[in-house]
Amino acid sequence: MSLLDFARGPAIEVALAVFTLGVMWRLISLLGLPWAKDRTVRRAGAPSDFSAGVSGFIRHLWVPKGFGMTSRFALINGYVFHLGLAIIFFGFVQHILFLRGLFGVSWPGLPTSVISIAAVVTLGSLVAALVRRMTSPVMRLISTANDYFTWLITTLPVLTGLLAVSHLGARYETLLAIHILTVAALLIWFPFGKLMHAFLVFLTRAETGVFYGRRGVKI
Amino acid sequence: MSDGNHPGGTIGEALLARGISRRSLLKYTGYLASILALPPMASRAMADALAKAPRQSVIWLSFQECTGCTESLTRSFNPTLEDMIFDLISLDYHETLMAVSGAAAEEAMQAARAANKGKYVLVVDGSVSTAEGGIYSTNAGKTNLATLKDMASDAAAVLSVGTCAAFGGIPHAKPNPTGAVPVSEIVTDKPVINIPGCPPIPEAIAGTVAYIITFGKLPDLDHLSRPKAFFGDSIHDRCYRRPFYDKGLFAKSFDDEGARNGWCLYEVGCKGPVTYNACATLKWNGGVSFPIQSGHGCLGCSEPDFWDRGGFYKPLSASVMGNPAIIGGAAVAGIVAGAASVALARKRRAEALAAQSKASAAAQEKMP
Amino acid sequence: MSEESPRTGMAQSLLREIARALAALAETGACDAIDLRSLPLTGGDRADLETALGRGEVAATFDASGQSEVWETRHAGVWWVRHLGGDGRVAAETIEITPIPDILAAHPDDIRASAAALMAELAETTEETAHV
Repeated sequence: MSLLDFARGPAIEVALAVFTLGVMWRLISLLGLPWAKDRTVRRAGAPSDFSAGVSGFIRHLWVPKGFGMTSRFALINGYVFHLGLAIIFFGFVQHILFLRGLFGVSWPGLPTSVISIAAVVTLGSLVAALVRRMTSPVMRLISTANDYFTWLITTLPVLTGLLAVSHLGARYETLLAIHILTVAALLIWFPFGKLMHAFLVFLTRAETGVFYGRRGVKI
Repeated sequence: MSDGNHPGGTIGEALLARGISRRSLLKYTGYLASILALPPMASRAMADALAKAPRQSVIWLSFQECTGCTESLTRSFNPTLEDMIFDLISLDYHETLMAVSGAAAEEAMQAARAANKGKYVLVVDGSVSTAEGGIYSTNAGKTNLATLKDMASDAAAVLSVGTCAAFGGIPHAKPNPTGAVPVSEIVTDKPVINIPGCPPIPEAIAGTVAYIITFGKLPDLDHLSRPKAFFGDSIHDRCYRRPFYDKGLFAKSFDDEGARNGWCLYEVGCKGPVTYNACATLKWNGGVSFPIQSGHGCLGCSEPDFWDRGGFYKPLSASVMGNPAIIGGAAVAGIVAGAASVALARKRRAEALAAQSKASAAAQEKMP
Repeated sequence: MSEESPRTGMAQSLLREIARALAALAETGACDAIDLRSLPLTGGDRADLETALGRGEVAATFDASGQSEVWETRHAGVWWVRHLGGDGRVAAETIEITPIPDILAAHPDDIRASAAALMAELAETTEETAHV
């Protein structure tokens, strides 16, 4: 069995299985946990929990007034690579074909040139994010191995995908196999590392909104 | 393979005897230089070298195969320049083409072998059955496995012609009931050149043999022992539809507008990007066309296990699921694991609460 | 074909390559050749190249294991050599920068064989005449 056959077959299958198992386990065990009752008295005029949750999430989409340029840059940079990743993942025809194989639905892709530009920008943005993490004293203090590993596991598929599309460094079948293997690694790591924020970000931000909203604080 | 002692005469002498001028040979080497991607100025030296070389003895064995490879090499419509390969070689034994059969055929093979001991090129098409000692494919009461071992021992080199001989091919496809293996798994002490393809391009067979005769050595080979001159580039690299791939313009079915416009066939399963062969440049049926030009994606027939790569019409980037139920099973397992940890957490909390209320009740009782 | 076939600019770069080789032939006498079959020429490119090189004084056709056409272009020393294979399609095609293409000259081995054959023929005729 060639490396490509291994990557397209058992590797991606096992990775998808681990991803599904891990995500299910983590979400259900988290959502099913017994809640500690909030015994505070709801402040008069406080919004309902639902609207506090939604507005808490929305308010976190932008930097509050009073924060400096660096924070604003970090946030914009975050948007850039998240958007870039989405364009690459959902817009590249080869990826749509992969998704069609899994879910049976497809949609029109974007021109390859657009995807290539998006990939280069995304890669630059990811590097910028790493540089900030490593240079900012606060970020360095709160960063763990989990953060750095998650960065690596996110960046590798972008890098290897770009190499595969441009046929750089090795034969195409090898580049494609390595690219698929990096995606498999991402899927396996996903439920257990910081990538799980893709699901949990909605819960954590809404929960913060609810907690403070009840106390009449907008945060 | 030349040793200066030519009982059968040189190629030059043989051509002269047949009244074929050296112009023909020079034309042929010009053609060879072109298909072998050698500098065109080399053709003169090649012609002189060939004229002095003996005709190369070739013994051709057919194992688990369909004869498509022999057809590919021999089925030209009229005697042409390309047929000059048969002036370069002495096809001393060919199981399918020869007129004699039975004991006479066996004698012919042994005679050819004795006359050219250590010098002949052994061409094999078809895979070798190894299950049950190789009894699934036999000839004259002898298994292919035994014949191959026997005949390879006196050969100068072995040429595995076609994907079956080179990589096991279709007999090797799952579940491989005959235990089919490529020639290179049996012959390990001789140089083995693979010229895969289903069938291989005739120019690739003839060009490789001609190279060996002309230069007296094996051509440059890739990691799968394929001559780089023919298998150095992927179909995709030389495909005339490549610009459409680069732009992301794909035919979505075999009769849509994209297909009619000649767009890239990646979405309908073309394996061109991972297939190394010369179809896109040498083409087929005398340069008329090749599969992609005729509107069908590349099957990848010159690559190992092309039959077992998850379907000819499945795009290369789609995954090949052995059993999709594994994903469903994983989802169920995840739900069960989640529910179990929830149950555990709730039980612990209930126990903690019970212990707490018991403790506080006990504390109240103690109060005076 | 030439009208609808796209141009890649290959004809122009080939002309420059031919000019360079021709200058070398004029200066040092070094011969050169360009294999057209291995280049990704479109029909349009080929037509452009053929028009640009034109036809000179010499043209030859011959049959040796298939038809061949050789002609000198309007540039002395630049030859177009085309060999046809089965079904009249082009099996090999080169531009040769040389005083005379090798394929036109008789080969020494062929000359030796012819000389011997002619001698033998004459000897036979003389013998026959003598008997009369």
